[in-house]
Amino acid sequence: MLHTATAESVLAAARRGGADFAELYVERWRRRTLRTIDGEVEEAVSAIEQGAGLRLFFGTDVVYAYTNDLGDEALNELTQTLVRLRGARGAVDAGGAGGLDLRRRAAAGVHAPSVAFESLPKAWRLDRLRELDAGARVDASIRQVEGRLLEWEQDVTVVNSEGTWVDDRRVRTRCAAVVIASDGDQTQTGHFGPGLSVGLELFERFAPAAIGERAARQALVNLRARPAPAGTMPVVLGNGFGGVIFHEALGHLVETTSVARRASVLTDKLGEQIASPQVTYVDDGTTPHGWGSSEFDDEGMATERTVLIDRGVLTSYMVDRWGSLKTGYARTGSGRRENYTFAPTSRMRNTFILPGDVEEPAELFAGIELGLYAKALGGGQVRPGSGEYNFAVQEGYLIRDGEVAEPVRGAMLVGKGPETIKLVDAVARDLTTEPGMCGSMSGSIPAEVGQPHVRVTQIVVGGEA
Amino acid sequence: MNFERAKDHVLRRARALGVDAEVLATAKRELTLAASGGRVDEISHANQGGVGVRVVADGRVGYASSEALDDASLDWMLDEAIANARLQPARGAALPSGGALGRSDLIGEGLSAAVEAKGAAVVELESAVVTDARVDALFMARYAETETEAVLGSTRGVDGGYRTGYAMLMASPVMKQGDSVKQGWDLDVAKEFHLLDPTRTSQRILERVGRHLGATPLRTGRYDTMFEPDVTATLLRLLLFSLSGKSVAEGKSRLATRLGDRVASDLLDLVDDPTLPDGLASRPFDAEGTPARRTPLIEGGVLRSFLHNSDTARRTGQANTGHAQRSYASTLGVAPSNLILEAGSGASLDDGVIVTDLMGVHAGANPITGDVSLQGLGLRVEDGESRPVENFALSFNLFDLLERVNAVGESLEWRPGGEGMIAAPTLRVDALSFAGA
Repeated sequence: MLHTATAESVLAAARRGGADFAELYVERWRRRTLRTIDGEVEEAVSAIEQGAGLRLFFGTDVVYAYTNDLGDEALNELTQTLVRLRGARGAVDAGGAGGLDLRRRAAAGVHAPSVAFESLPKAWRLDRLRELDAGARVDASIRQVEGRLLEWEQDVTVVNSEGTWVDDRRVRTRCAAVVIASDGDQTQTGHFGPGLSVGLELFERFAPAAIGERAARQALVNLRARPAPAGTMPVVLGNGFGGVIFHEALGHLVETTSVARRASVLTDKLGEQIASPQVTYVDDGTTPHGWGSSEFDDEGMATERTVLIDRGVLTSYMVDRWGSLKTGYARTGSGRRENYTFAPTSRMRNTFILPGDVEEPAELFAGIELGLYAKALGGGQVRPGSGEYNFAVQEGYLIRDGEVAEPVRGAMLVGKGPETIKLVDAVARDLTTEPGMCGSMSGSIPAEVGQPHVRVTQIVVGGEA
Repeated sequence: MNFERAKDHVLRRARALGVDAEVLATAKRELTLAASGGRVDEISHANQGGVGVRVVADGRVGYASSEALDDASLDWMLDEAIANARLQPARGAALPSGGALGRSDLIGEGLSAAVEAKGAAVVELESAVVTDARVDALFMARYAETETEAVLGSTRGVDGGYRTGYAMLMASPVMKQGDSVKQGWDLDVAKEFHLLDPTRTSQRILERVGRHLGATPLRTGRYDTMFEPDVTATLLRLLLFSLSGKSVAEGKSRLATRLGDRVASDLLDLVDDPTLPDGLASRPFDAEGTPARRTPLIEGGVLRSFLHNSDTARRTGQANTGHAQRSYASTLGVAPSNLILEAGSGASLDDGVIVTDLMGVHAGANPITGDVSLQGLGLRVEDGESRPVENFALSFNLFDLLERVNAVGESLEWRPGGEGMIAAPTLRVDALSFAGA
């Protein structure tokens, strides 16, 4: 995608223009989206996206520009424009005069797919989505089934003035079912959407009919659910996507994007007990085939497994290059961005609570007289600085006398992430993770959230209005 | 960019493969400069463009796009679009035929000023705003310019291209007087950089935000009401949903069966005019190559037309008005260009409320039913004197309100809206119900 001479001349020109650091990010995507409603194609689109982003540091001031044109002339012009706009009169740096010693590294294929997109025709994909549709037809009240298949291939090159040259390749597939059920009176939805850093072998791990059926079962549960009660009560959060609360209301608070601006309540808390001792919280960019995994981050650093909270003690932030400059913490391979139109910031990859010491999830319900089992969570809102959150419960049940009882709908969990994490008093062993799209300053990126079943001694539950 | 070459390559190959294809290529250059503390502290510069193809084969439509212009990428794009079309059920779609549309340049050298001059303009705006003692903080002061180039061609004869753009200055101050704190924003848009005036923009912003300082709650009741042009534009954005041929084709427009009927006060004339000389959203043709022409939508309160592209026109059996909209990466839609609610003979108010701002349109307004319940800011006028009021909500039905307009202001203000630009006057409506203190 990128010629060595072009990269060298761009980086050298940036340094001559007074930049302390220059980074060129070049990528090329192939994306396909196939969407069916009731088994017929509603949308089928394909796209090649290609572009370059140039980021220059002048101290901790950052300027950024991007273009689709990867030609030598266009990239050099972009560099000149940025340097001129900055109005830099800075000293000419020696690094700009001589050649750069670029050290090349390439992805080893840890997350490489086994069934390539090109190996199967589009009609085969449509057949899979029709299986998903058929799998969802488990009851006469199922009214509409939407199937979605996303295929992403991304080739990335990151080159910088410190001599880094990294080539990474990321392939991701996600299949989702959205099912609408209605009994004439109520209309409810169910959702399930597994995704991994794999090719079309996703369907070997998740049978299409099973994806449809799981979404349909959730819609049916909601159809027979009663309005949730309101009040403060013990809550058991389901494994997998139940972890989205801690992603939103805790994870975002330990990114240097907010910590370096002192905009997070968890600023300057390293080494302090900020969570229950039951909680060890990890952000891992290396999980094989994880939805949020990659071999390198978008700043060209090898990803790593970062323990954020160890038995309740805050042990690390998620640190990108700018955050490292501002705070002095070492980078953690957490610089990520949606695409070339965004400069990278510190972001989560695959973030989860490690298994605890409760053998069976059923034990978590024991002793709860009245509580809520939030088996699956839906959308929510969070204030980034304080971690105040509210999340809708997508699939919920009451807990009565230590047992999971009838389903309830419309429950809303309300609290503050840094407080809720202190109230976790038991963690099971059944860790699972699920894919999501995480939105922040550097765009929308794939990230996994996860946890085992977790019990929180109390959360405010808002009932149906 | 090599758009012409890319377009020719894709169309030649489509003809060889025996499919109808339309190629749309657009490129956008954006420059944003933000000022703080008397200097330009944030800069972003972007060039983004690509090619999109719409294929129609056997009444089936398929789309694909590419930001890479090499032959291999373009061939992949066309093959994917054809394969995507073949997956669809047949829906009777067809590609419109057309002709040579020429190449137009609608901005010339309008944005060619040196970047240093643009930086100086935004610094001047920032300095002028923060000089006002009532300004407590400045959320942003920004200069932004956008230049776009479009090339369109099809196997059915369409061939054309144009270049256009605009520049704007905007700022959002937080102003304070005693315990009263108000945040607001405003912008000035022009086709040429030299038409922007930081002094004029700063004065307008300070006046528009500052006049709300010291606002007191409005008492619940019915008031004769004037909507400032900014608020009228908000109402028009909401009305656009019902005027879109897409909403009509999908059975979502409340006006669908009302062509030829009186749907608004006879004082109202609404027109969309992409041919307006120096119009900020003017264009020689739409995204399907239909030549631009002025389209009266409402004349003397009578509904005359919806906004259509070839597809919504075919599905509703109405005339195509040339309002196709799409980017290279998106599918076909409908959008206005310069939407103008014509000026009237003037509107004034001796006793009532001037509504200056409506908030929360996304959540508090239902475009299908026209039911609106929104929080507002305004000025209470009594005995010819005005004072700021706040903490009130207005509830009305948009369609009902349009029928009740009894005066239209004599000047227009331009505001951005719905992929195009909206020109709006002041509107007066009597006895509107307000919920306040």
